[in-house]
Amino acid sequence: MLEVDPKQLIRCPICEAVNIDKGKSNCCRRCESAIYHHRRFKTERSWAFLITAIIAYIPANLYPMLITKQFGMVEGSTIVGGVILLWEHGSYPIAVVIFFASIVIPVMKFFILLYLLISVKYPLGKERKVDKHKLYYMTEVVGPWSMVDVFVVAILSALIHLSNIQIVAGTAATAFAISVFFTLLAAHAFDERLIQESPYRF
Amino acid sequence: MKIENEEALDDFIICHKCQTLHHEIPLRDGAMAYCSACGTMMYRYDSHLIDRGLALSITALIFFFVANFFPIVKIEILGHAQFITIPKTFLSLFEHGFYIVGIFCSFLIFIFPLGVFLLYLWIFTLLKLQRGERLTRRLLVLLSRSIPWSMSDIFLLSILVSLVKLIGYAQIEIGTAFWALVLFVAVDLYITKMIRISEIWMLHKRLFFPQGRGC
Repeated sequence: MLEVDPKQLIRCPICEAVNIDKGKSNCCRRCESAIYHHRRFKTERSWAFLITAIIAYIPANLYPMLITKQFGMVEGSTIVGGVILLWEHGSYPIAVVIFFASIVIPVMKFFILLYLLISVKYPLGKERKVDKHKLYYMTEVVGPWSMVDVFVVAILSALIHLSNIQIVAGTAATAFAISVFFTLLAAHAFDERLIQESPYRF
Repeated sequence: MKIENEEALDDFIICHKCQTLHHEIPLRDGAMAYCSACGTMMYRYDSHLIDRGLALSITALIFFFVANFFPIVKIEILGHAQFITIPKTFLSLFEHGFYIVGIFCSFLIFIFPLGVFLLYLWIFTLLKLQRGERLTRRLLVLLSRSIPWSMSDIFLLSILVSLVKLIGYAQIEIGTAFWALVLFVAVDLYITKMIRISEIWMLHKRLFFPQGRGC
């Protein structure tokens, strides 16, 4: 017989098996993959990825995302510029989609991950009932959708390259793709065990 | 809380959304179990899981091939006709010198979606033949690591967004591959949302260790 505290049970992020938290070298008993076994640096990986993502997000907003070459005129538009342009042209739904995908979701993800990472160290929001598991789950589900803008740029630049009219991807596309990639890595690297208060455990 | 051994932990399940611990209960065929705290679907029992999985993954692969070999959209600007296919989208990024974005795109919209369904096909075939216990495990781990990086659904939305951007500038004709991609995304969403990886693991245990692992 084994005596187990329900608080010690963790879910393997790969195969979803229930495991006993043994601390230093957690290996999933079912799929044998390591469950966050870097105990000495709990949050550092996630921090590193997150900071890289935030740094990459700055040039993503400063440089043009899309460069339109039309009869010798070269015109670049940044992410924010593109959204404003779409709004002025009257395509509101698309403007909203791009606004959410390239501005709201990435920024929201930065803040949620920052909040989660800080709240691991300092007891932030412990009194207020903020459901951190829900926040984390939301960032994981919603995160990839910020790739929309990068794909749109790829499609447009593949589709429109005539001799007179050309659309080319700008520097921001690279920066933005890198930023999204690192936020995804940061979210994956975050150790869910560190969200300690789980209100519903029996 | 007292349990027999570590093996007995298989009778428990933790909700993937809110981390609530639940006792796993046997279900009748086709029924689903929902989390009592947040209402998320956690698992279901499906006696035809292998056949369904095989059928779905073969269907998805067929749609994927159609979606890749035929043009997605044809446009006409000033008398010049242009078309794109999925491989052309990321290959043109390489041509323009955007290697990093090109690599990201080729992985996210081509290699991972294809890989995920080849893995599903391989896993379900092995389970059907009841062979390769260790190999199935490896493949299942690989599968759950690749699923988050398969972004066909996002790519589909991007196509729609870019088409709306082009309305007024060009004549747009939607190609065969677009509809194939829509169907592929539908199957992709169904299989990744409705067949949870833990269900395949439970099936794996039932098939290879009918009496328990006995450790």
